[in-house]
Amino acid sequence: MIIGTDLKRYYGLGAVQVRALDGVSLKIQKGEFVGVMGPSGSGKSTLLHMLGLLDRPTSGSLLIDGVDVGALDEQARTVFRLRRLGYVFQDYALVPELTARENVYLPSMARGMTPQECTLVCTDILGVVGLGDRIHHLPSQMSGGEQQRVAIARALVNRPALLLADEPCANLDTRNSKVILDLFRKLNHDLHQTIVMVSHEEWHKQYFDRIISMKDGLIETDIQGGPEGASGGEPSG
Amino acid sequence: MFEESKVAFFLAKRSIVRGNKGTLYLTILIIGMVFVNLIFLPSIISGVAVLFNQQTIDYSYGNLVIEPKENQVYIKSADELQRKIERIPGVTGVSPQYVSGTTIVYKGNEVTPLLYAINPDDDRRVLKIATKVASGEYLADGDTDQIVIGYRLAGNYDERQDVIPSLGGVDVGKVVEVTYNNGVTRQYRIKGIINSDSYDVDSNAFITKNEYESVYGFENQANQMLVRTEETGNEDAMRTTLMAFGVQEKIWTWEEKSANFLNQIIGSFNIINFIGTVVSLVIAIVVIFIVIFINTVYRRKQIGILKAIGIDRSIIIRSYLFQALFIFALGTVIGFGFLAVILQLLAANPIVFPGGPVAPVVDAMLIFRSMVSLLVVSLIAGYVPAWLTTREDILTAIRG
Repeated sequence: MIIGTDLKRYYGLGAVQVRALDGVSLKIQKGEFVGVMGPSGSGKSTLLHMLGLLDRPTSGSLLIDGVDVGALDEQARTVFRLRRLGYVFQDYALVPELTARENVYLPSMARGMTPQECTLVCTDILGVVGLGDRIHHLPSQMSGGEQQRVAIARALVNRPALLLADEPCANLDTRNSKVILDLFRKLNHDLHQTIVMVSHEEWHKQYFDRIISMKDGLIETDIQGGPEGASGGEPSG
Repeated sequence: MFEESKVAFFLAKRSIVRGNKGTLYLTILIIGMVFVNLIFLPSIISGVAVLFNQQTIDYSYGNLVIEPKENQVYIKSADELQRKIERIPGVTGVSPQYVSGTTIVYKGNEVTPLLYAINPDDDRRVLKIATKVASGEYLADGDTDQIVIGYRLAGNYDERQDVIPSLGGVDVGKVVEVTYNNGVTRQYRIKGIINSDSYDVDSNAFITKNEYESVYGFENQANQMLVRTEETGNEDAMRTTLMAFGVQEKIWTWEEKSANFLNQIIGSFNIINFIGTVVSLVIAIVVIFIVIFINTVYRRKQIGILKAIGIDRSIIIRSYLFQALFIFALGTVIGFGFLAVILQLLAANPIVFPGGPVAPVVDAMLIFRSMVSLLVVSLIAGYVPAWLTTREDILTAIRG
């Protein structure tokens, strides 16, 4: 699914050079729910940006779904993001003038689906994230948890090969965080959805199949875990 | 391309419908005003041109002016030529006349106007001066000891009110002394005073052709012959027709006779109009640019997110172009509304120029030209800020 080899991302030059990623190699299989964890500045978000094609590595190669994404031009990367990736941001990042359904509608519309197909798939996916009765609400009329679920629906609407989530619970309270994490695990389990999620909350670990811990731009540990007991999991602090 | 436009339209529509209404309405209002400005001044200038053109035809030249042949001072056998031209289809009147300088004296006031010697009946068929008698009467064919003068020439008792040297407020019935170029001096009773709104006519004097010929001992001649045709606008064709019918004298159209004067006026107006148009378009481009630029900068993060989820940059730019188009379209409609109100007000209270009331002339070409220039300006002002903001790196945009 994902093969990253010696990925490096350096910012700046000379003495002020920052090595955000300093040679990361990793493989992620289809259907895995991977948590990327680590302290601030460890490189976890940079790695997610690489996987989400939002940034290019200074060196190294990256294959996603069999495609060498480093070789794609900007136009092709945009199409790749639209058709094969889903991205969930920390702050929901919904278009404020669009209702829940319209926000979800947008990527499918851009993909060239007919209005009927868009409506069908949007209604369906909003049902999956539990917002079937909120489809006509604007973001300003929804709670943070609901907005994040809309963002997840938007990320999933084109049936992406890979779902990336950048600290999706950072702005949510524990109850809403749990709803989101349960949803991710359900999607992973039911739809066999590959998910890579960045988090720094210890209690999130119980949801992940695998936990990649990063430090100073390198992978410190890569541990296979299990979601057993996660549905009943509680935050530690 | 069509799919992308659909998405762009979708984003633009939602942004307009659910975005900040106050800014939108204000922008549309400004574009409407700019549209009015683009149309209004040129329409007044066209109105002035139409007024001056019509005045030139009605009070100075008719449609065609026939002048003596090369190296001749007078048209010989003027009666025969007049009858010949009157028989030509499309000609409705021919007025032979003499024009010369003269000196008129009244109570010590001396003026040197142009003196027109006319056959009043013929003159009525070509010009409309006879309909503009402010006091007294116009000349009749048999008049010999009477003169008609323009009101500017008649002047005022208070000479500070005079625009040109005048006779100091002479009235109908008073007697003035006219001295001709050949030294002959005769006295004439003022029969009428003309107020035509035509600067030239109101500064001239008129006697009968018979009287003039008796002073100079001429017979059956003329300095010039004015010709009125059924239609205005086909003077060149009528000139060809007159030549085909054997008229060998020089033939000028009214436009040729008045070209310098009118071109100077219109030229000056066009400079003002050009400056006004450029200023209006600059205002339009700046306003739309600022609105779209602030909009895009304010949504910088959102634009970054849209690009991150796979919405192509061209779709985002196009969505702003659609918004600019909407502002243009509604602004133009509002502008039309304002313009209609202004035209109604001007119809009720016309702007009065020295030549008379001016009716604005709004033609399709003027509207089309204004719409196209405003459209181009709107598209540029919508495209540039959207292009500038969307070229930003995704992560930089998302981080704000």
